Amino acid sequence: MNNTLLSLTISILFGIGTFLILRRDIVKVIIGLSILSHAVNLLIVSVGAFSGKDVPIITHDEVASTNTIFIDSLINGIFAPMLNGTNPTQYVDPLVQALVLTAIVISLATTAMIIILAYRIHEEYGTTDIHKLKRLWG
Amino acid sequence: MSSMVHHFPILLVAIPILAAAITMMLRSKPKLQTGFSVLASFSLVPISFILLMNVWNSGIQVYEVGEWGKYGIMLVADLLSAGMVMLSSFVSFLSLIYSLDYIEKRSLSTYHPLFNLLIAGLHGSFLTGDIFNLFVFFEVLLLSSCGLVVALEKDGVTKSTDKLEATFKYLVLNMLGSILMLIAVASLYATTGTLNMADISVKLSAMQAAGNLPWHVFAIGLLFIVVFGNKAAIFPLHYWLPDVHPTAPSPISAMLSGVLIKVGVYGMLRVFFFIFTDLHDMFQPIIIVLALLTIGIGAVSAVAQTDVKRLLAYSSVSQIGYVFLGIGFGSLGAIAASLVYLVNHAIAKSLLFLTSGGIIHHAGTRDMNKMGGMVNSSPFMATAFLIGSMSIAGLPPMGGFISKFTLFDAGIMGQYYKEITIALLFAIFSLFYMFRAWLLMFWGEKRDVKRYGEYSEHSISPMIYMPIMILALMVLILGVYAEPLLSIAQATAVQILNPQAYIDTVLTRVVR
Repeated sequence: MNNTLLSLTISILFGIGTFLILRRDIVKVIIGLSILSHAVNLLIVSVGAFSGKDVPIITHDEVASTNTIFIDSLINGIFAPMLNGTNPTQYVDPLVQALVLTAIVISLATTAMIIILAYRIHEEYGTTDIHKLKRLWG
Repeated sequence: MSSMVHHFPILLVAIPILAAAITMMLRSKPKLQTGFSVLASFSLVPISFILLMNVWNSGIQVYEVGEWGKYGIMLVADLLSAGMVMLSSFVSFLSLIYSLDYIEKRSLSTYHPLFNLLIAGLHGSFLTGDIFNLFVFFEVLLLSSCGLVVALEKDGVTKSTDKLEATFKYLVLNMLGSILMLIAVASLYATTGTLNMADISVKLSAMQAAGNLPWHVFAIGLLFIVVFGNKAAIFPLHYWLPDVHPTAPSPISAMLSGVLIKVGVYGMLRVFFFIFTDLHDMFQPIIIVLALLTIGIGAVSAVAQTDVKRLLAYSSVSQIGYVFLGIGFGSLGAIAASLVYLVNHAIAKSLLFLTSGGIIHHAGTRDMNKMGGMVNSSPFMATAFLIGSMSIAGLPPMGGFISKFTLFDAGIMGQYYKEITIALLFAIFSLFYMFRAWLLMFWGEKRDVKRYGEYSEHSISPMIYMPIMILALMVLILGVYAEPLLSIAQATAVQILNPQAYIDTVLTRVVR
């Protein structure tokens, strides 16, 4: 149920973002881009398993008792790294959260840059209409 | 020394980032800042050369950042990465020297940090072995190049409104591209549970061998074509390039056309021949069709241009199509040929853009119809532009001849007769438009005497002509003595088509 709702949310966000970047107003395009990047962030989160019980922190004792930390054996169909002899769904996937954090920071930087550009364009052209930006030929 | 060489991959990324931070702090001391920036940029050239030699002699080098093995981020230098890094550090050093005199003093203080970040982004995306890290470095590249495109040059021919408009287009399209890339990367992670490229490759191969490869892997492949195609400006996504490259200051145009669009080619080679090792046959026809369309559209558009830098930009579109054609053929010879093509185009196009900067400086306009007869007033620029034009047009004894020859040879060997016929036809176009540009600018009488009575009397400083001279020499050397480049390209193509060595070096490492 949760997954369905999440997928639905992501698809609606993608729809809104795509609609907005096709608008004529620069500001709407920028809002569309940031909505799209949020949709992607949600997609990345949805990629990881989040139904596990344990936090993904492996203590020193566990390392000592099993000797190895990461096992991913292709033969047994285990793709993600996991502790030797544990159930793969026991842990929450920590990597996707790190990825999303990185993606959020990057989208912050790009959005800041594009807002400054939009402001300067408004200063120079006196408009935020994309159709009026026709000094170059494309 | 050997332990030092081990750290070279990280140095190639760390030195420019450090230099960016330090030059940012030295903004109030222009001399010191310039010296530091040039020193940092120069130090990368021997480092990347030693790295390439080291990879050539003793195989693939792996640097584990944080020693997390394949679960952390790795920098991997195989021949392709090391070669691209060598190329980019060479071109970027020359561009930086050129821009010391070309860029306006006021812009120069923010120019240095951004330029160093651009180099860091380039080297990082070439060296990284982690696909999410590739995305991060793409963003570093994108943002720093946006800042550099709007930098002001001394001649003031390009209006800053044009720069803003071009940058807006560039930024929006590339943001969309990076969103698509994130979708593709997230889907790959969902499928394989790893972000390490070697690991993804192994797992996809294992899935295919077991016969349970999910269908969306093909959709991911198509997404990657869009992402890297957008970076490299292949046909349906090429229209930002002829706006951005001409409006950027000339040294930045040289960087964008010479190295930055090659990032897309690099990504394509990495993803399709390495990650999708067993699946790339499926994508070959798509790449070939797109490459042929790119060649055609670029060449036809270039013929009609009157703005010299716009012509060069359309020529870049057309030439990148040839590189993709080689990738599309996918045989050993074709990949080697497209690598040779890539290097030759990078050098020749950087030369042409740097020279066009000098010409624009001299004539005070970008419109070729208003120039003419400049061979008398600036014979040096005329010679350099002729050398570059001959290389792009593919005339011997320039490097461009070797690259076109090997590419067509490989195509005929692979029995792609129709494709080669089309490519040859548009190669004639490239001969036409390059020489049309040269004749319009340098030959004949001065046109439009009323507005531009005299070309500006302006002595060219060594910082402008030295880089041009070195690049022109490189074009000649690559044409006359092409053996080393050809053998490196051949070895690189062998490595690209047999990724087992890469996978073994990356995956068989002790994890703490």
